[in-house]
Amino acid sequence: MYEYFEHTADLGLRILAPDLNALFAEAATALFAAVVDGLDTVQPQQRIDVEISGTDVDYLLFDWLRELLYRFDAEHLLLSRFEVTVSDAELKGSAWGEPIDPARHVLSHEVKAITYHGLRVERVGDRWIAEVIVDI
Amino acid sequence: MKQPYSGPLERIDANCVRIPRGYKPGMRVPGVIFVNDTLLEQVKKDQAPDQVANVAYLPGIVGASIAMPDIHWGYGFCIGGVAATDPAEGGVICPGGIGYDINCGVRLVRTNLGYRDVKNRIRELVRELFHTVPAGVGRGGAYKFSGKEMKPLLAEGASYVIGRGLGVPADLANMEANGRIDGAEPDNVSDHAIKRGSEQCGTLGSGNHFLEVQVVDHVFDAEVGQAFGLEKDQVCVLIHSGSRGLGYQVCDDALATFRTTHTKYGIDLPDRQLACAPADSPEGKRYIGAMRAAANFGFCNRQLLTQQAREVFERVFGSSWQDLGMTLLYDVAHNIAKLEEHTVDGKKKRLWVHRKGATRAFPAGHPELPAAYKATGQPVIIPGDMGRASWVLVGAPGSMERTFGTTCHGAGRAMSRTAAVAAAGGRKIEKELEARGVIAMAQSRRGLAEEQPSAYKNVDDVVEVVHGADLSRKVARMRPIGVIKG
Repeated sequence: MYEYFEHTADLGLRILAPDLNALFAEAATALFAAVVDGLDTVQPQQRIDVEISGTDVDYLLFDWLRELLYRFDAEHLLLSRFEVTVSDAELKGSAWGEPIDPARHVLSHEVKAITYHGLRVERVGDRWIAEVIVDI
Repeated sequence: MKQPYSGPLERIDANCVRIPRGYKPGMRVPGVIFVNDTLLEQVKKDQAPDQVANVAYLPGIVGASIAMPDIHWGYGFCIGGVAATDPAEGGVICPGGIGYDINCGVRLVRTNLGYRDVKNRIRELVRELFHTVPAGVGRGGAYKFSGKEMKPLLAEGASYVIGRGLGVPADLANMEANGRIDGAEPDNVSDHAIKRGSEQCGTLGSGNHFLEVQVVDHVFDAEVGQAFGLEKDQVCVLIHSGSRGLGYQVCDDALATFRTTHTKYGIDLPDRQLACAPADSPEGKRYIGAMRAAANFGFCNRQLLTQQAREVFERVFGSSWQDLGMTLLYDVAHNIAKLEEHTVDGKKKRLWVHRKGATRAFPAGHPELPAAYKATGQPVIIPGDMGRASWVLVGAPGSMERTFGTTCHGAGRAMSRTAAVAAAGGRKIEKELEARGVIAMAQSRRGLAEEQPSAYKNVDDVVEVVHGADLSRKVARMRPIGVIKG
C-alpha cells in the first residue's frame, strides 16, 4: 500500500509492503498514480525491462524510480504494472504499460525528478517502509 | 513530516532575522532570513529555516546562508534560498542550490493595448493561447530540434532560436545575460537530457508554470515606470517556465555523480540533497558546463513561448506583434548559479551565487546591465498567484550590500499541494477566478486546485519586505485577467 504525505512544494510518497520486491513495485505504482489520474486507465500493452546494479537499497529504489520516470518523459510511456526482484547487488524489474493517449488518459502531475531529501528504505518489524519526495 | 521550526530566530531589524551560527555544529556562517512580523509565523510553520541552517554547512560559503521572504520548505535548499561560495576558498557548486528546473524564470512582454481593448476579447484570447501554447504533462511542442541542432542551441542560448527567425535581436538585450550564459558545455549534457529536451523547447510544462495576460493596476514609481514603458491599464503577458525535462535530467545526472564526492573531498553535509563538489574540481566544472547549457535551453524555451504568444495576439487582434508593441521588458532567471563579482569586507571576489527561487536584482550602474537599464537598475519580475497580483520591481543598492545582488522570486507557497486539494474540496476554482475577473484554462483540474490563490502567501506581503530592506523597490503591480496552465 502507499499514501501521499504533505510536503510544501512537492509530493511525498510513503510505501508499506511485506517485502522489498513488493515495496519497489508499490513505489512505482505510487509514482505513476501521481502522474496519471486513474491508473486503471493504463493498459499493460507493452513491457520494458530494467536492470540496475548497486548494494545500497536506498539508491536502488531511487534509480528504479528514476529510470521509470525517464522512460515516461522521453518515450511518453505510462506504466501501471510492475514486477521487481531485488537481490544483494542488483535489481531486475519489468514494467507494463502503454504510450500516452490523450483521449483516454488524464495526466495530473509533472514529476520533474525523484529527490534524495528524506529518502529512506527501512525494515520496521515484519514490514518494509519507504519514503520518497518527488519534485513537482 | 511537516513539523514546525522550533530553533532560534533573532531579529536583526524589521525585515530580517538571524539563525545564529551556533544553532548547528557544522554551520560555517549564520543564517539570515528576510522576513517581517506579518510573515514570520508562516515561515516557522515548516522546516524551511532548518534548511537555511543546513546550507550554512557548504564549504566556502561566504557571509551568510540567506533566504528571501517567499521562503518555503524545499528539498536540500529551501525555496527562496541564496548562497554565495568562494572558489578560491574551496567553495562548492551545489546542484540542489539551483534546483531541478535550471533557469526556471519569468519574462514580461509589454503590449500597447489597454484593458479596454482586451476586456471583451479575453475569453477568445485565453482560449487561443490555451490551444496554441503546449502546456501540461507529456506535451511535446511545435518545435523539434535534432540532436545536431541541440548543440548550438545549448551553446548559444536565445540568439540561436532568434537567428532562426523566432524573435528579433532586440529581444536579446532584454534578457538576463543576453539570453546566453557563456561557458556552456553542450558535450557535458547527457543523451538522456538531450532526448528529454528535444521536443520540449517552447512548452510551458506543469506545476506552478503559467502564461498570464495581466493589466497594470498601479504604478508606484512614475519615473522608473516610464523608463520601463509601463503605465496604468496597460496589458502585459507574463511567462513562467524553465528548462523542462532537459534541465531536470542535467540536475539528476549531476546528483548521481555527486553521490560520492562528499567522501572524496571530505565534505560533511546534513542532507544528501545538498550533494556538492568544489566548483573548481573536475566534477564541479563538468556540472557547471552542463548547468550553463541547460540555462541556455531555458532562455530558448521562454523565447519560443513568447513567439507563440505573439502569434496568438496577431490572430486575435489582427495586427502584427510589432504593431501591438509586444516587446520584452526583461527576462530573469530564478533558479541558477552564476559566477559574479561581489565586494566582501572591502575586497572584490568572484563568487558562485546560487539562487534557488531567488532573483538577481542589480541596482543602477551595475556593469552587467544593458544600456536601457543602466540608469534605473534592472527590472525584477515577481509572479504572484493567479488570483491576486504580480509585480515589477527594480534592483536596489541594498541587494549588493546584503544579498549578493538578489531579491525574492514570487509569493511562496503557504499550503502543501495535498492540503490545497483538500481545501478546494469540490469547489470549482475556475468559476471562483471568473468571479474575480480572471479567465483561467488548465489541462489539469487538480493542478488548478493545487495552484489556487489561497495556496500561496500574499505576494504583496513578500514585496513589502524586499522593498523595506531595499533589495528591490516597487515599480508596478499587475493583476491577472487571463491564465493558462498545465
